[in-house]
Amino acid sequence: MATYLVTGADRGIGQALCLALCERGENVIATCLEDSPLLAQRGAQVERRIDVTSDEAVQSLAKRLQGTRLDVLISNAGIAGNSTLGHLDLDDMRSQFEVNALGPLRVVDALLPCLRQGSKIGIITSRVGSLADNTSGGMYGYRMSKAAANMAGVSLAHDLKGRGIAVVLLHPGLVRTALTKDVQGDLVEPAVSARGLLARIDDLTLGTSGTFWHANGEQLPW
Amino acid sequence: MATYLVTGADRGIGEALCLQLCERGEDVIAACFEDSSTLAEKGAQIEGGVDVTSDAAVQAFAQRLIGTHVDVLINVAGIYADDSLGELDLTNVQRQFEVNALGPLRVIHALLSCLDQGSKVGIVTSRMGSIADNTSGRLYGYRMSKAAANMLGRSLAQDLKERGIAVALLHPGMVNTSLVPNLPESVRIQLIEPEVAARGLIARMDELTLENTGKFWHANGEVLPW
Repeated sequence: MATYLVTGADRGIGQALCLALCERGENVIATCLEDSPLLAQRGAQVERRIDVTSDEAVQSLAKRLQGTRLDVLISNAGIAGNSTLGHLDLDDMRSQFEVNALGPLRVVDALLPCLRQGSKIGIITSRVGSLADNTSGGMYGYRMSKAAANMAGVSLAHDLKGRGIAVVLLHPGLVRTALTKDVQGDLVEPAVSARGLLARIDDLTLGTSGTFWHANGEQLPW
Repeated sequence: MATYLVTGADRGIGEALCLQLCERGEDVIAACFEDSSTLAEKGAQIEGGVDVTSDAAVQAFAQRLIGTHVDVLINVAGIYADDSLGELDLTNVQRQFEVNALGPLRVIHALLSCLDQGSKVGIVTSRMGSIADNTSGRLYGYRMSKAAANMLGRSLAQDLKERGIAVALLHPGMVNTSLVPNLPESVRIQLIEPEVAARGLIARMDELTLENTGKFWHANGEVLPW
């Protein structure tokens, strides 16, 4: 039984990850922007009001977790926006950078004392943050924030290798969540994505640290 | 004779670009954070007070350029700060994102009406912004802001292709400028001078077409990975 911490556990992929982890008998710390009675019911330790853009909230979480060893930290909290050239909203782009790129960095930096030799970090970014894969343009804020998050993950992989901590960047697939409510097409269910993401984290070693994976097992280009 | 607009022209790479462009007889609009008497002397049109993080400054600048056709827009303005885990200053990361990533977007977006079929856009980012090339970690704010700027260029290349505007992402090399003030001597001797970087960057812009739009180039001509 290992201890997992998942951010953005209120709903969607974060919630599905926690449910799957509770099911397989892991210790689950579910940090929520608001709350999750459902996850509390399933036995997760729910940490409420953890806004990953707030130094204060993240610091207080780190304080409460002092002395807790985390085997796996999954940074999942994220937001989407749609900035196009015709409709640029720099404030919206800044918010996405705050949550999607600075959020994981703030959480990892604050929880470093809980991570030890053998711990793992998964950061859920997106294939939309792949530069090589950007063949359709647009989505400025989302793409830039997710590319920045991928970069943060690779720097973390290098910086934490010496401490025996592995880092993986993860694309969850196009998942049916509140973030994709306006998206048409073939969406996968959060439970399916969560299963794939957990498999990728199970497979993660120091040897593969700093790489970028689709939940389905395909390695993605930067 | 073409019209070039360069941001961050006060000094360093931006100034060197403007000097060489003036030399070869181009029309040069030098957008400076403050001012540049050197470039004014060489015949450049100086636009002072262009802080690329200020909506008001960039809008006012764009207003002054209404009706001007810009053949080549080169975004140079950038900042650099070192950081590492354990001593992360997220306000520093935010600041670099503002200048290095949102800065070029703000400028390009405001000046879109000056760009036309055949115009070119260069964004000076950095090899430090290459995720594939990140083999040493650290430098969170700089690397993340430059990766974001590269992504910006990727989307722009797609979005501007149908208007006939090509976009290049550019690594200037390790250049001896005020951005990197405190390097050890062993590193400093490997730096190239701004004139050398500028010559390469101009060559890359000369070679830029709609066929090779959206790529990432070292000033020395090498294609860089993402």
